[in-house]
Amino acid sequence: MQVLPFQHHSLPLKGFWVLKSPRQGISLLVNKRALVVNLCLMLALGLAGTLSLAAGSVPLSATEVWLALLGKGDPLHELVVRELRLVRVLAGIGTGAAFAVAGCLMQTLARNRLATPGIIGIDNAATAFAVASVVGVGSALAPPAMSIVGAILATTLIFALAGGSGTQGYRFIVVGLGVGAIAGAVTQLVLSWVAIDTANAAFPWTIGSLNARSPDTLLLLAAGLTLGGIWAATLVRGLQALRVSESLPITLGFNSKRLRTQSLIVAVGLTGVAVAVAGPVGMVALLGPEIARLLCRHRGIPLLSSALAGALIMVLADLLGRLLLAPLEIPVGIITAVVGSPYLLWMLLNPNFRNQP
Amino acid sequence: MNTVEKPILAASTPPSAPASLRAKELAAGHQQHLVIEGLNLSLPKQQVTAIVGPNGCGKSTLLNTLGRILAPKGGQVLLDGKDIHALPSKQVAQKLALLPQDTTAPEGMTVLDLVRFGRQPHQQWYSQWSAEDQRIVQAALRAANLLELQHRELDKLSGGQRQRAWIAMAIAQDTPLLLLDEPTSALDLGHQIEVFELIQSLTQEGKTVAMVVHDLLNAARYADYLVAMKAGKIIAEGTPQEVLTAELVYELYQVHCQVMPDPISGVPLLVNIRR
Repeated sequence: MQVLPFQHHSLPLKGFWVLKSPRQGISLLVNKRALVVNLCLMLALGLAGTLSLAAGSVPLSATEVWLALLGKGDPLHELVVRELRLVRVLAGIGTGAAFAVAGCLMQTLARNRLATPGIIGIDNAATAFAVASVVGVGSALAPPAMSIVGAILATTLIFALAGGSGTQGYRFIVVGLGVGAIAGAVTQLVLSWVAIDTANAAFPWTIGSLNARSPDTLLLLAAGLTLGGIWAATLVRGLQALRVSESLPITLGFNSKRLRTQSLIVAVGLTGVAVAVAGPVGMVALLGPEIARLLCRHRGIPLLSSALAGALIMVLADLLGRLLLAPLEIPVGIITAVVGSPYLLWMLLNPNFRNQP
Repeated sequence: MNTVEKPILAASTPPSAPASLRAKELAAGHQQHLVIEGLNLSLPKQQVTAIVGPNGCGKSTLLNTLGRILAPKGGQVLLDGKDIHALPSKQVAQKLALLPQDTTAPEGMTVLDLVRFGRQPHQQWYSQWSAEDQRIVQAALRAANLLELQHRELDKLSGGQRQRAWIAMAIAQDTPLLLLDEPTSALDLGHQIEVFELIQSLTQEGKTVAMVVHDLLNAARYADYLVAMKAGKIIAEGTPQEVLTAELVYELYQVHCQVMPDPISGVPLLVNIRR
C-alpha cells in the first residue's frame, strides 16, 4: 500500500507551494512571496520593538532588553522594560495591526484605495464620542467603549445617507467625508465648551497617542484583534473575488450581502477598538495596506502583511515621536499624519493612480 | 487480489448533467425603472441560445437577472424548477456560470489567478488546488488558447486576450449552464470565430449556453436558438431559420434588408441592407 504524505505537486503553480495530501482531499496553497514578506516584516517588527523598548531616559542595550523581557535581567531594567515600556510597544503593535487590517478590508469593500476608515470619518466619530465621554462622564473605561459606539453609529449614518449605493463608489466616500467633518466639529465644540483642565484631559483623544496606556485596554485590544483577525481570514476568499468585480462573488457562489456586511463589521470593530486604545492615529490604515500590497506585488488581499506593516509603522512612528524632540514627546498621530499626508496627496495628484486596490 | 485499474478519465467528472434555466413572468430593472416585464423564457437544453435586440432592449438585464447578479422585481428565475434566489449560493454556482460584459482586472493579477477563480464553487478552505482543479484549469486555458500566456498579468494583455481569460474562467467553473454577455465584443474577426466555435463545442459536452450577441449574423450562424428582444419583451424566438425574417430585422433595427440562405452552410444571411 502506498502512503502519500504531504508532497509538492508535480506540475507547479507558479508562486505557490502546494501542500497536498490527496487521500484526505487536502490541498493548501502557500504564497511564496507573501510568506517571505511576512517573515521579513516580522523580523523588522521585532527589531523596531526591541529598539523602542531600549530607547528612552534609561537607555538599554538589546541584550539588556531581552534579558529583562525574559525576567533574567537587572530589576531596574525589568521595571523599565516590562512595566513602563512594554505596554506602549504592545499597544503600538496591536493598534497598528488593527488600523491596517480595517483599512485593507474597507479599501477592498469600497473597491477604492482612498476609502479607509480614517478618511471616511469613522475615526473622527469614534473620537468625538470618546471626548464627549471624557468630558461628560470622566470614568476610565467609558471612553474606549464610547469610541466603539461612535464608530458604529457613524458607519450606520454613512450608510443611511449614502442610500442604495452601499459601499460602492464615491458617494460613500463623500458622505463619509461629511460625517467625519461633522464629528470633528462636534469634538472641537465640546472641547471649547468645557473648563480648560477637562479639555486638557480629553486632548490626547483628539490626536492619537500611545503614552501611558493602561494594561486593561491591551486586553480589549488583544481580544478585538484575535476575533477580528480570525473573522477577516474567513472572508479573504470572497474579498479576493470582490476585488476583481462587484458581480464575481455572486457568480462564484459567495453570499455577497453577507460578505459585505461581515467585512464592514470587522473593519468598523477593529477601527473602534484601535481608536479606543490609541485615539485616531491617521494614515496607518492607508499606509499599512499600501506597503503590504507593494511588497506582495498586488497579488490577493494581504491581510497579514497589512497587519504587520501597520504595526511596524505605528511602532516606528511612536519611537520617532519619542526621540525627535526628547525629552519632549510628539504624539504618534502627528508623526503618522506628517509622514502619511504627502503620500495621500501624491495618490490624489498622480495621474496614473488606480483607485482600485 | 486481482484488481483492474480504472481508466484515468473515469476518476474525473462525467459530462455535466444538463440543468434547466427558466424565466417565469420575470420583471427586472434598476432602482425604480423596470427594463423587462412579464417575460417568459426557457433555455433549450444543450443548445446555444443567442439573445439579440437593439441597444437598451433589456438583453443584458435579462442575462444578469438569469445569472442572479440582479434580483428580479417580479416573477422568478427557476434553476431546475427551483427559485434561484432560494437555493444555496454555492450550489447555484456549481450549475451556473456567468461571463460579465465588463471584463476588467485588478493590478498584478495573472491569467492563471483569474482562471483559478472558476474553481471556487468546487473548493473548500482545506482543498484549494486539487488534481481535478489543476486538470480543469489547464483544459480551460488550452480551450481559450491561453496556455502560453497563463503567467502574464491581465492588465498588460490586449482586450481580446483578457476577454478570453474571462471566458476560460467561466469554462473552468465547469457548470452545465453558461451565460455570456457579449463574449466577443473585444475580439477581432479571427478570435471571434475561435470563441464562437469554442462555445459551439461546449454544447457537445452537454452544456447549455445563452449569450447576448450584438451581431445578428454571428447570432444566426452560431446559435441553435434565437431570442429577439425589443423594449423589454421577447418578440420572436425559435431557430434562426424560423425566426430571422426581413420583417423581424425591420422591427428590431428599423432597417430594410433581404434574408437569404448562405449558399454553403444554409444559415440565414442578410443582404441588401439599407435604411
